[in-house]
Amino acid sequence: MSTTPGRLGRGVVTRGAVAALALTTALALGGCGSSSAPNADSTASAGQSTAAPLTLSDGWVKAVESVGMSSGSMSPSASPMGSPSASSTGGMDMSAPMTAMFGTLRNTSGSQLTVTGGSCAAAGMVQLHETVKNADGTMQMQQKKGGFVIPAGGSFVLQPGGNHVMLMDLTQPLKNGDTVAVTLETSAGPVSFTVPIRTFTGGNETYQASPSS
Amino acid sequence: MTEAAPHRAAGGPARRTVLLSGVAGLAGAGALAGVAAAAAGAPADRAVSAHPGPSATTRALGFRGRRQAGIVEPPQPYAAFLALDLAPGADADAVRRLFTVWTDDIERLMGGRAPLTDLEPELAEVPASLTVTLGVGPGVVTAAGAPMPTWLRPLPAFPTIDRLQDRWSGGDLVLQICADSPVTVAHAQRKLLTGAGDLATLRWVQRGFREPYATAGSGLPFRNLFGQVDGTVQPSTTGPDDALIWQPSGADPAWTAHGSAMVVRRIGMRLDIWDQVDRLSRENAIGRRLDTGAPVTAPDGAPATTPADLHATDELGFTVIDDFAHLRRAHATTPEERFLRRPYSYDDAPEPGELSQSGLIFVTFQADPVRQFVPVQARLAEADLLNLWTVPVGSAVFAVLPGALPGEILGQGLLG
Repeated sequence: MSTTPGRLGRGVVTRGAVAALALTTALALGGCGSSSAPNADSTASAGQSTAAPLTLSDGWVKAVESVGMSSGSMSPSASPMGSPSASSTGGMDMSAPMTAMFGTLRNTSGSQLTVTGGSCAAAGMVQLHETVKNADGTMQMQQKKGGFVIPAGGSFVLQPGGNHVMLMDLTQPLKNGDTVAVTLETSAGPVSFTVPIRTFTGGNETYQASPSS
Repeated sequence: MTEAAPHRAAGGPARRTVLLSGVAGLAGAGALAGVAAAAAGAPADRAVSAHPGPSATTRALGFRGRRQAGIVEPPQPYAAFLALDLAPGADADAVRRLFTVWTDDIERLMGGRAPLTDLEPELAEVPASLTVTLGVGPGVVTAAGAPMPTWLRPLPAFPTIDRLQDRWSGGDLVLQICADSPVTVAHAQRKLLTGAGDLATLRWVQRGFREPYATAGSGLPFRNLFGQVDGTVQPSTTGPDDALIWQPSGADPAWTAHGSAMVVRRIGMRLDIWDQVDRLSRENAIGRRLDTGAPVTAPDGAPATTPADLHATDELGFTVIDDFAHLRRAHATTPEERFLRRPYSYDDAPEPGELSQSGLIFVTFQADPVRQFVPVQARLAEADLLNLWTVPVGSAVFAVLPGALPGEILGQGLLG
């Protein structure tokens, strides 16, 4: 279960992998960053002010029902762009659960806006990712250099298999039907969203170390 | 397959009917304005398009309201009934999360919009008058820690007729999914099941159908696979009989207010032995003419709604309507013994060597099944000629939740 720091930045998306994020050890709830929302129709942008330069529509975060902890776990934030290396578990990261946020971002301002990062109380780290095709045809997700650039009045789609916001090193379960607060840092300042959490069996954001070992 | 006391059946105005904007919507409406209007009770003067579409598949019914949709609306031709069980150990929070997901999914699907996680949103773009109606069994009420309605329990056993199977009976939750398109029903079923995640698991599915509006014609009621016109005499769906169908605002327990109770009985029809009897015997068994659906006491050509003359006798002094005819046995003996019937036929694939695997998904809505439904069912179980050809194989009772007003989730009152 040992992990190697730094694989995340070059991790390969294993398409079709199932339930990789479901871990075996349940973590007791406490200090929960996710919350219940009485209004199922709460929009993803519920947490933002009306003057926010960035909105999120149809936003959602893939549920992670349990968060396992292992003694060998290591925060992926240690060296996100470090050298790739397979771990003893074949590269599957079973100790630092992660998930992703999807939806459509809209820049409602009159000037270009760049999403540069983010934060989430339920995640040790938030990254902006894109999915690219390797020379061998496999899909790989990696950090989006320069962030998400959205032109004035433009939209930016976050979707499984495409651009997305990664919530890494989760510290608590994100349960189907709850919501989670996510803040995106932008060139126009931070914008917070209350995002519904949904069960989703596709688009597994499972990392595998690059096939270098 | 029961009769209710005579009351003028009225095609009430469909509430919250919305025609989706866009070219496709106008095209469909233009061609089928009459059909859609007949079905919805809506005005017939919809926009006319130069490009008539094949159907009114873009018609969307509103989700938000004090009462849920899918009860008093004219029955759509295709339906799926899903019973689910809560995951073991589910608590009120689990129920709240499940209803949060379903409320959002149902609102989106009925509006022709994809649920959040749907990677094939095109399948949601044809709402086809979709309604999804959510009900709960005793297990959910217990999990939510809410007071139990006195009537929310399985129907009493009817050992003379029942051959109930677990696989068609009971359940913690029910989703009634109805639409004008079978594709819409299938997609909604799939998204609602997957959306539940591990909060609930499927117990049974019953798929049903009725005549599409286009062939049923205006005002013609449901014809079951015995060929019988069914659902002729119904409580009014426009207000006067609301007390029969809906829980009142001051209902006890309070969380049931503006909800209803749903009975789902799966009734196998033995078409093989039905085939062995002549037409007059078939009409005698139900007490209605097969051609018009009118009582056998009615003259030729009289409408299906003609009141039955239960006392009429023939030249030999026998009652014209058989003492054990379905119509007579099901006839309400008190004003309370009436309920709204919204049945669907099923016609599953027979096993090799069999002739049919057909029947009726008998669905009723009432305020109190114990007071309204059970007395009628007890009379039918005691004696009904139709019992020769029918076999109840499934039975379930659910509390239909009140509707969700803006900002609410379904079951908000139940969850306190």
